[in-house]
Amino acid sequence: MAAKTPKRKVQTGAEITRKAKALCDVMLKDLESAERPVLSAVKCSLDNAIYDSKLGYLTPGDKIVRSELNVSSVQKLARTVFLLDILLNNVSTGAVNTKRELYYMAKGLVKSNPRIKPIDFDDQPESDSIIDFITDLLEVYREEINCYANDRGGQTYSQQLVVTETLADGTTATIDLSQLGTAAFQPKNRPQALKLKAKKKIDFCLVVESEGTANTLVSNGFTKRNNCILMGAQGVPSNGVRGWCKLIQDQLKVPMYFFGDLDAYTMQNIYRTLKAGSAASLIRNADFSAPDVRFLGVLPEDIKKYDLNYYEVKDKDASELRALKKAKDVLANDPFFKDKKNKKLANVLHFLIKNKVRCEQQALFSVNPKDPLMPEKIILKKIKEGSYI
Amino acid sequence: MSKITSSSTAEYFAKNLQQVGFSSPTKAVLTTLKEAVDNALDACEENGILPELTIEIEKLGKGGGKNTDLIRIYIEDNGPGLKPEDVPRVFGEYLASSKFGRGQCSRGQQGIGISAATTWAQLTNAAGVRVKSKTASMKKAVDLRVDVDIKGNKGVVKKKDTFDWKDKKHGVAIEFKIDGRLQLNGDGGLLTYLEGTSLVNPHLTLNYKVHENDWVCAARVSEFVPKVPPATLPHPHTMKLGEFMTHTLLYGNISLEKFLKTAFSRVSDAALKEFTRNGLQKAWLKRGLNKINEKEHKAIFHAIQESPLQSPSTKSVLTVGEEGLAKSISKIGEVDFFSVVTRKPKICDFKPVVVEVAIARFLNRGSEDDSIQLLRFANRVPLQFDKASCAITKSTESVNWKSYGLQQSKNSLPKGPYVFAISVTSPFIKFKNASKETIDSSDDLIEEIRLALMQAGQKLSRHIKREAKADDLERKKRHIEKFGPILVEGLAAITNASDARKKRATKGLDKILGRDADSAEAELEQAEARLSKLKIKQEARAAAGTGPAKKTAKKTVRKADSKKKASKKAPAKATKKASKKKAKKKATKRKAKK
Repeated sequence: MAAKTPKRKVQTGAEITRKAKALCDVMLKDLESAERPVLSAVKCSLDNAIYDSKLGYLTPGDKIVRSELNVSSVQKLARTVFLLDILLNNVSTGAVNTKRELYYMAKGLVKSNPRIKPIDFDDQPESDSIIDFITDLLEVYREEINCYANDRGGQTYSQQLVVTETLADGTTATIDLSQLGTAAFQPKNRPQALKLKAKKKIDFCLVVESEGTANTLVSNGFTKRNNCILMGAQGVPSNGVRGWCKLIQDQLKVPMYFFGDLDAYTMQNIYRTLKAGSAASLIRNADFSAPDVRFLGVLPEDIKKYDLNYYEVKDKDASELRALKKAKDVLANDPFFKDKKNKKLANVLHFLIKNKVRCEQQALFSVNPKDPLMPEKIILKKIKEGSYI
Repeated sequence: MSKITSSSTAEYFAKNLQQVGFSSPTKAVLTTLKEAVDNALDACEENGILPELTIEIEKLGKGGGKNTDLIRIYIEDNGPGLKPEDVPRVFGEYLASSKFGRGQCSRGQQGIGISAATTWAQLTNAAGVRVKSKTASMKKAVDLRVDVDIKGNKGVVKKKDTFDWKDKKHGVAIEFKIDGRLQLNGDGGLLTYLEGTSLVNPHLTLNYKVHENDWVCAARVSEFVPKVPPATLPHPHTMKLGEFMTHTLLYGNISLEKFLKTAFSRVSDAALKEFTRNGLQKAWLKRGLNKINEKEHKAIFHAIQESPLQSPSTKSVLTVGEEGLAKSISKIGEVDFFSVVTRKPKICDFKPVVVEVAIARFLNRGSEDDSIQLLRFANRVPLQFDKASCAITKSTESVNWKSYGLQQSKNSLPKGPYVFAISVTSPFIKFKNASKETIDSSDDLIEEIRLALMQAGQKLSRHIKREAKADDLERKKRHIEKFGPILVEGLAAITNASDARKKRATKGLDKILGRDADSAEAELEQAEARLSKLKIKQEARAAAGTGPAKKTAKKTVRKADSKKKASKKAPAKATKKASKKKAKKKATKRKAKK
């Protein structure tokens, strides 16, 4: 189990505003004295990522990104200050917006004011990257500046879990997941507002890569037969999913397993992000990763053991080849996979690179087509036998 | 059987004037002008006179021929003048020249051109040329009308007067009235010719009025009259057998050894040894020329041709010079950029040649999409026809101008608002025809011109790169200026900054971008105005009798002057600082005086 994360101090709106204003004041002073203003932010990329196995997630190193007023950064600076103004206004009024909304808001403001036309955004990734830069700059979570991503993934099923949500007005709402039938609970992108309680001892939490597969397992009665939490990650886990998993890990302290495809993309993009966070969000991995999650499979040895269908990666499959190429890079540069503690996970990547094969999570359904419960049986067996990494 | 008759040279040319540049009414005007100008310039240079030419070309009415006008061409020079008895020979007799076969870099070579012009005038307007001439020794000038006696190939004076040529010590003025047509611009244009002539003759002052245009004065930019180098002895390898044998006749019965050493260049004792190794018998060397028979002549000639010899001397070649060309370019128009290259004399096809290139970009002349304007010169005379087959054009097209930053389609002239002036000077230029419109292209000459063009191209390329860099810097500054005000506005909004801060930040941004030169200049002007006021006050006080004040005033002025100079040289930032310092010092001085 990963070491307990030192509690990060949540910054209040007033603090963030003060910090932002001070930053802008320095920039303005620089301009007044004919000096080029500079903005410095933590460098959020793999080459500045540190992995400490005791902490269990990726943290930022010493590298910083300096954006000085010059021809290549002036647009970024102007856009940063422009969006910062909108965000600070949201912080002061309590207004909340998604990244997409902020993109359209910014676009609308630019269109209605010809003087600021040069900073117009062509598409949402342009404004998203500026918002990310602002969070890095102020070292705040996006949610602390009232900006939320759209909810994606994390559909959760359980007969034992009860969630209490504190609403914006201070009132609370309690959701008993056993009352939702086959419908899922969708965690909001604000895990800090949620309190979890188990009606009955929960044995494990299973995070399934495919939301569809998770739903199928539920339909087949997985959650009825097992005291568990079943969740669909829906691909690369969003901030919401990661925060939700972290919450389950911290508040319920139940063993957590991830079940997904046996391929390079799943290992290096999906599982690594869930377990240790991402390089792009180094400053928020502490609250948005679940270091205790274990990789249940599909493991290379499962192919033989359960006679799973697998197939070779063909030269025509560009995306798979790209993932394998990236796997080589990851093994050489990603501190998570370089860490001794994760050697077994790295070995999975070595296996995939060497054998150029992949096995889908859905292969479990074909082990015995006459038995729809076979996937559940295999999963439970694996948990029982400790067949995970 | 038809009777065989002989014709005079004049008869031949009268029937074949197209061979000497009179193939059309348009070319006739240009050729007439060109021949007259060539003669005037050659005469001035030979006598060390700085040439000053006055040219007037006008339409007098309808010409005698179909689709022609009657054109008056008037050329007046300040040359040494012609003696009255020489005038009919110069203007009315073919091949009567002081320059024929001299091996010098003079413009005229054969004595055909001006007589052909007289013939054209006579054929088209029934009157030859009117010549006014005065030499320094003549009290009165003569005014002659000369026609060509075509049958006898001689000039005939039809009319003769004398007159006082006010303020004119010497010179010639000639007037032709011919059938022709006026083309002012373009490759064969009169103005193109006059500009070109002005360009390659920095020492020439040219006043001209062409058709309805105003008078133009292209003043000389050099006070140095180029001295045409004397001809050098012929090089044995440039001769043909017949020429060689004829050459022996000029030296009487001297020994072969002496003949070879004195009648040719580059024949040394070592060369003679080489000749003997290649078939020239030693005994022949001591023999008189008269005792050498035709067979032996042939053997001697072949031995010489077989022997390696030092290349001919390049001393007989005249150049315009990079300095002269550089100065001359400004005579054509307002120059934006130019590069000039004068190559060292080089032997091409056993003849000494100098190639000079001037590449210039003028303000308000040409465009990026048009081909460059190519000005060709041979012995400082513009070549304006038959461009495509000229060695100069071929060389220009063979250079890859793209690598020097110019646009160019394959095997064609580069594009852009440039003028390429290329001058080939040699005592033996190989023209393609008698009208001297095109230089014959040999591989050696093309390569030499190419090298000159490439040298000039490198200079041009450096300039274009510098310009591109400056453009790039400007583009970057403009980019920053697009976003800068938005940044300032945003920062001011977040920090609730005052208008004064906003203004200061905007000024600071200007400074960062180096856009504060204007404001610094304005401040400097203000400071200077204040300084001059102060100076007046101090002088007034000094005049009132306060000694020390006078001294101080002088000191202040001197200091101010030196600072003014320094501040002009310094960049904008330093200028501003200097003006601030100045203002401070003034304030201190004022206080001290009070």
